[in-house]
Amino acid sequence: MFQGLEELRTRAESAIAEAKDTTQLVACERSFLGKKGELTEQLRGLGKLSAEERPAFGAAINQLKLALTERFETRRAELEAGELRRKLTGRGFDPTEPGRAVHAGYLHPISQITHELVDVFTSMGFTWLDGPDLEFEYYNFDALNIPSDHPARESQDTFWLSDGNLMRTHTSPVQVRAMEKTKPPFAAIVPGRCFRNEAVDASHEHSFYQMEGLMVDRDISVANLIHCMKTCLREILKDEVEIRLRPGFFPFVEPGFELDVTCPFCRGQGCSVCKKSTWIEIMPCGMVHPNVLKAGGLDPEEWTGFAFGLGLQRLAMLRYGINDIRDFTGGDTRFLRQFVRS
Amino acid sequence: MQLSLNWVSRYIDLTDLSPERIARDLTMSTAEIEAVESFGDALSSIVVGHVDECGPHPAADKLSMTRVSDGSGESYPVVCGASNVRQGQKIAFVHAGSRLPDGTKIKRSKIRGEISEGMICSERELGFSDEHEGILVLDPSAEPGTPLTEVLAVCDTVFEIDNKSITHRPDLWGHYGFARELAAIYGRDLKPALEGLELSIPSKGESLSVDIAASFGACVCYQGIVLRNVEICPAPAWMRFLLLAIGQRPHNNIVDLTNFLLYDLGQPMHAFDLSRLRAGNEHGEPEINVRFAQAGECMTTLDGVLRELIEKDLLICDGQGPVALAGVMGGDGSMVDAGTTSVFLESANFDAATIRRTSMRLGLRSESSARFEKSLDPAMAETAAKKFVALMAELSPGSRASGPMSDPASWGFAGMSVPLRCDRATRLLGVDVDEKMARGLLEPLGFVLHASLEAAGEFSVDIPSWRATKDVSIEEDLIEELGRLHGYDNIVPVAPLAPARVPVRDPELWEVRGLRNILAGDLGMLEAYNYSFLRDDLCERMGLVDLPYVLVTNAIASHMSRVRRDVMPGLLGCIDDNLRRDERVALFEIGKGYQPESVGEEKALGGKIVCLPKEVLQAVAVLADRGAKAAHPYSELRGQLEHILRRMGRSGLRTLQMENAPGWMHFGRTAAFVHGEGARATVVAYVGEVHPGICDALDLEFAKDAGGVAAFCIDLRALLAVPVAGLSYCAVPKFPEQPVDLAILAPLDLQVAQIEAALHAAGPKIVRAVSLFEVYRGKGLPAGRKSLNFTVTLGSDKRTLKSEDEEKYIQRVRLAVQELGGELRG
Repeated sequence: MFQGLEELRTRAESAIAEAKDTTQLVACERSFLGKKGELTEQLRGLGKLSAEERPAFGAAINQLKLALTERFETRRAELEAGELRRKLTGRGFDPTEPGRAVHAGYLHPISQITHELVDVFTSMGFTWLDGPDLEFEYYNFDALNIPSDHPARESQDTFWLSDGNLMRTHTSPVQVRAMEKTKPPFAAIVPGRCFRNEAVDASHEHSFYQMEGLMVDRDISVANLIHCMKTCLREILKDEVEIRLRPGFFPFVEPGFELDVTCPFCRGQGCSVCKKSTWIEIMPCGMVHPNVLKAGGLDPEEWTGFAFGLGLQRLAMLRYGINDIRDFTGGDTRFLRQFVRS
Repeated sequence: MQLSLNWVSRYIDLTDLSPERIARDLTMSTAEIEAVESFGDALSSIVVGHVDECGPHPAADKLSMTRVSDGSGESYPVVCGASNVRQGQKIAFVHAGSRLPDGTKIKRSKIRGEISEGMICSERELGFSDEHEGILVLDPSAEPGTPLTEVLAVCDTVFEIDNKSITHRPDLWGHYGFARELAAIYGRDLKPALEGLELSIPSKGESLSVDIAASFGACVCYQGIVLRNVEICPAPAWMRFLLLAIGQRPHNNIVDLTNFLLYDLGQPMHAFDLSRLRAGNEHGEPEINVRFAQAGECMTTLDGVLRELIEKDLLICDGQGPVALAGVMGGDGSMVDAGTTSVFLESANFDAATIRRTSMRLGLRSESSARFEKSLDPAMAETAAKKFVALMAELSPGSRASGPMSDPASWGFAGMSVPLRCDRATRLLGVDVDEKMARGLLEPLGFVLHASLEAAGEFSVDIPSWRATKDVSIEEDLIEELGRLHGYDNIVPVAPLAPARVPVRDPELWEVRGLRNILAGDLGMLEAYNYSFLRDDLCERMGLVDLPYVLVTNAIASHMSRVRRDVMPGLLGCIDDNLRRDERVALFEIGKGYQPESVGEEKALGGKIVCLPKEVLQAVAVLADRGAKAAHPYSELRGQLEHILRRMGRSGLRTLQMENAPGWMHFGRTAAFVHGEGARATVVAYVGEVHPGICDALDLEFAKDAGGVAAFCIDLRALLAVPVAGLSYCAVPKFPEQPVDLAILAPLDLQVAQIEAALHAAGPKIVRAVSLFEVYRGKGLPAGRKSLNFTVTLGSDKRTLKSEDEEKYIQRVRLAVQELGGELRG
């Protein structure tokens, strides 16, 4: 009788040890300890025994049940730990395998640069303005001190329209438009599209983007212009650039300047971008010509101002290393997809 | 323009300054120097040689056999072909293994059987002139072995000036003008332009009749003088080297001298062979007449091209006809050549606009026209003529001026003055300007300051003739002179004293900026920029030729003369190349179009009303998908448009079938988003399938019954005119909500909007949301029907809904749908 119990223990213990996973272990548990399990059958058989035999044998069965239950729990913990361990092995996992691509969109680099400039200048108190792409000859030329016999007008680079108007050759027409609408003091920027009848190649485009800037107040001076440009260019170029002003001629400013910044590529060492000069010409600017103030209805004795222009493609080309200006136009996604951050 | 340091140094002493320093200071104060180059480096391997022996070549009559020593003790056999080579000469010698200035390497070679280990150079081989008949014979005192560049004053430093930076400065188109600038920059003495020259112009004698009356003022002044006993020969070495340094090839003394003065003073001149100037009649004297061309008149210019002239072209004529296109180019019949013995010199001044127009119209830009069109100082014509005559004494010693200067205009500088106030200069520059500073900076440039008797620090400034033609005319011009000579780098930056205020925001610009971010950021589209021109081929393929366009009269190319009316065609034209690479293309563009049939901005100008064409501002997007099993992208794109409208606070627009859809849209499958009622209704946006015919025309191919192209366009100005609906917050439900799925079988022409309205109306208090999640048309449905599946969310603020509520709702829906001619399934 007790021998049978011992034999059952041996079988159960080896079955527990042989169970390969928790499923087998559960089946094994059921076959010994379940409702119809062998040990349960033994318990049921107790009633057939004599009263003397019953307590000792009953105690032996219960003892065995406890022992087996513990064995099962131990083995279960073992198997579960093993199974978790197996789940945690990284077999077949490739850490270099990329995730599924998202349908992401990006702004055109000119839009990105425009927004960035707008942020810098509006934070400095400038108002963002716009003007029409097709413009009156008056705002594009006459009002800007470019009279009808001026070479800048006769030259071939203005697109003239059948209705007598023109495609603006710069964003400067908005200078006088702004003066007409706004009482000084004011400061404004005008990013926008301009057109010149130029043969297209890697560095010339007939359609291009400029940003005009204008500040008018009672005592605006060259010293103010230098300060303003230094502040904003450091912000835009994200570098402690030096700037220098040298004489430059534009009919709508007097005095007029070319503004150079220290070459951001070589930081003054001399490279191919700055043609070894260590300076890059980036911004024509100057003090608003008295005739332009007059055209805007302002008295040049009372008001002075400065104006500047910035080529946006050039800025984008410098920043991203784009070497063909033609790439900006058209919808080639191989170009547009690259500007994931500004 | 090229600027020679040796040349400038004829007028100012710059010996203690490095070329780099000069370049920097000119750049900062006057004009941009793009490069500094040294001239003469190419001659570095050429040395003085001595012809030790010279005899006949054994095998060739015309060659000589020489031995040349180079001062090192060595001597070399050299075969020489020049007839003027003699024993004892000092010559320019190139060793075998060295190079000529043009890069040719001289090799040790056998010439007709004789070894030659170098070369004796002619002027042409040295790049000095076209002379190649004989070798260059050097001064006998030259030491053999000395570099040639030390014996001849050929080495120079050349500054490359950016011409753009001097277009407004007629005085800077010659070396003398730059010498004047440098004298002002460094505070040094400037020699007068005629210093050291003996001026010998007779007061009586031969002179040509010059009539400029018919130029009507376009010939501002004309100095003409006759020189006789002229001998044509090479110009002296110093002059040729200066011309060579700035890239001008020497020709002969007369041509070189006019060139020299062109680059010296900046005055273009023309030397005629007097014998080729014709008289008006058989017995008369040659005469000069400056007049405008007659229509149809022709002349052949120096470059051999026959030019057809118009009445705006100014001509220099002799008694018979044109001999020069005034200020632009001489004629081919009257030029100086080797046989010339008498010269008529013209040194004149012409109206800038006249010269510019002729030169531009003919596409004929010369050094002369480039200068005249800048408005040269008329006073310079006389100075240059005098300098020409004086230098001729050196260049052709026997020559002489045979009479006084013809000067029909008798032009004289009338003087010009401009006021200058120190406080105005201080205010504009941001630097304290006082009298001492103003005088110190302006007077070296030739300005004369007269102090005002009334107010301290105020002046009347006399402008010198060379700055008075156009460049200095107002006070600000003088302030610029002060600023640049003081040095802009010496101005201390000062923050402007602007009142602190928030800039006004133009809602259009800022909302459009937000829209760009929605399109790219929320919706994953790429932003494209297209030209404002509509290409002819695209216009034709899309059948848009008959629409009215703003036209460019001088288009960049004949196929780019139309200005776009709409942004969409250009963007549709971007799809095909991309779609060949990618299965799906999602692009947007925001831009302006111009519609000339409507009037845009109007303005009164000179008593007339002028107007611009109507400008539209559009945001357009295209979504193309050529996936084999892809659904048509219309639904996705429409969802995106709806998202945009919600994000911009304009979701309350009505949707209708689009009437008069643009030609590129499928007119049966385009929806319009409309604001306003009745006559005030405006189409704010449309979205639909792109016309299948346009897809074909644009080579967009799709799998059968799959994919396609959808497009939307937002009229941004119409959209921004729609009032923004503020965001209204809805409390998170406190009681659970009950989703109910409804399948409705509806007639094909029953619109979703009507069914949605009915679904709302069936339970106005408990319907929280209605959303369509599937539409099915096709197999398995009764003819003329479509199946629509909605999820309706029911809920209440007061209680949890019971199943009876849901049943009652469904019952009401069943009846409502039946009334619409549909059927609630299940």
